[in-house]
Amino acid sequence: MSTPLALRSILRAPAALRPLLLQQSSRALYHSYEHDAPPAYRDPENAILSSALAQVPTHGFTQEALTLGARDAGYLDISTNLFPKGPFEIVKYHLVTQRLGLKDRVQFPDDKTGVGKRVRSLVLERLRANVETGVLPQWQQALALMSLAENIPASLRELSALSDEIWFLAGDVSVDGSWYTKRASLAAVYAATEVYQTTDQSTEFRDTGLFLDRRLEEVRTVGGVVGSTIQWAGFQAGAVVNLMRSKGVKI
Amino acid sequence: MASIIPRAWKRLRLSKTSGWVCNDCRRTFATSRVQRQQQPPASGQHESQDPKSTHFGFQTVTEELKAGRVANVFSSVASSYDTMNDLMSLGIHRLWKDHFVRSLNPGSRNSVEGQKILDIAGGTGDIAFRMLDHASNINHDNQTSVLVSDINPEMLGEGRKRFATSPYKAAGRVAFLEANAEDLSAINDSSIDLYTVAFGIRNFTYKQKALEEAYRVLKPGGVFACLEFTPQLRNPVMNAIYKRWSFGAIPLIGQVVAADRDSYQYLVESIERFPSQEEFAGMIRKAGFLLPGHGGEEEGMQGAWEDLTMGIAAIHKGVKPA
Ligand SMILES: C[S@@+](CC[C@H](N)C(=O)[O-])C[C@H]1O[C@@H](n2cnc3c(N)ncnc32)[C@H](O)[C@@H]1O
Repeated sequence: MSTPLALRSILRAPAALRPLLLQQSSRALYHSYEHDAPPAYRDPENAILSSALAQVPTHGFTQEALTLGARDAGYLDISTNLFPKGPFEIVKYHLVTQRLGLKDRVQFPDDKTGVGKRVRSLVLERLRANVETGVLPQWQQALALMSLAENIPASLRELSALSDEIWFLAGDVSVDGSWYTKRASLAAVYAATEVYQTTDQSTEFRDTGLFLDRRLEEVRTVGGVVGSTIQWAGFQAGAVVNLMRSKGVKI
Repeated sequence: MASIIPRAWKRLRLSKTSGWVCNDCRRTFATSRVQRQQQPPASGQHESQDPKSTHFGFQTVTEELKAGRVANVFSSVASSYDTMNDLMSLGIHRLWKDHFVRSLNPGSRNSVEGQKILDIAGGTGDIAFRMLDHASNINHDNQTSVLVSDINPEMLGEGRKRFATSPYKAAGRVAFLEANAEDLSAINDSSIDLYTVAFGIRNFTYKQKALEEAYRVLKPGGVFACLEFTPQLRNPVMNAIYKRWSFGAIPLIGQVVAADRDSYQYLVESIERFPSQEEFAGMIRKAGFLLPGHGGEEEGMQGAWEDLTMGIAAIHKGVKPA
């Protein structure tokens, strides 16, 4: 895709997404394979957040889950002051650990699998992690936390890091001008598909797979940044509205 | 500059009668000028190169003298220190205190013992009251208690008076202790859930020593939290304006409202001499605390503190590892 087209896509994307699309920071600071990558969390944080995550299926992404996590890890209620962003830290912990764990979930036995196919299985594998950890039923709450103004930068940073990781694990090592577009496109596709997943009632998340295929097809044909991001924003808004309604807010 | 004073003066006068000022401002207790005999400062390691002298604002004084002079300042401005806080914080220190307490979220749901909170330099019980209100009303915790500690018995006396008629006093949820923050030997190791100090630590002679004491008395997992003015605003232009206000106008106002220019001068200067947010976070870490906010490499020390209102003040926290 030529640069002017990419630029146009950026300008037409919803305002909240522009920073992501424009992000010119160096390509993925740390890929999961690098041995010298600093540990993502210090021991006490690891202990508290992993225990808190285990509370999410019953208590949601809440301060209560965080407090119970602290207790389980041998800390005090007040120790949750270690996490200035409160329950959003549990969301971020899930995002970070699942991104770093993705490489162990997927193996590509032969070299014949194309990059496109690999990207598809990596996305589905990452989405499966939401189901296996039991957080999927609470994921709309996570999306609502991610869409709070103060959490948007960290959420977008994590989303583009995941996008980088997927391209990397899929074996795409191109460093040409198309890279920023690829990162943004996949980030948008992933985000849209993940939102779709939270509403998917089909067996074995078949519909999510089909939804993903349509988004990937869009990217192939029309350089889908615009299409998918708009859809993502739409789904995001819908998810938030639904959540607020379920909490009794009248909108 | 001069034109500010009549206006500020008017504002103060007005504020003394209007409803939004808390009771502290109406306090009328005798200004004590009596030179109190101070316990000598705790011995031990400290960061000053010249062991004999420390700063009293910008005046260099001997360390034994400092504790005495600080106590004097607070005796002499005790009745109007809230006015001072109003002037330095542009009238919003009460909002900062509210935010400070809310962000700490004291009190513990479904717990039998509640938390033990130690409010150092607790003066008049301002923070203690908010802590108990939050624990009781937000977390429905009627066990959590606060030990209010201050080096100055008159300040503490004010706190006692203020709590005398409160249900917290009757329920035994508040107690008072006269102590230097640098030597809390009256308090057991690992016995406190939450240690708070609001607008106090800049007056301590040995800040690192006070941090070590905080670490000692806190339980594993316990939290150190400090609300304090900062020496520099983030924005250089705002900083220049604020500095002219604090160094130019405030001591003058102090002269007018309290007839005590020197004490106000000291308070302004003690803020200037306080370490920057980065340095202070470093001192907290040095004392053994974990700094909050995922202090990963890429994020630097971000999250270790929170700047309030353009960085006029900041909240620092540390967690004692379990
Ligand atoms: C400005 S007042 C703050 C009072 C209260 N925390 C508030 O925020 O309103 C500062 C207090 O620090 C106390 N103080 C000064 N040096 C101290 C020390 N070394 N140990 C304990 N308290 C000290 C003073 O007596 C005074 O009450």
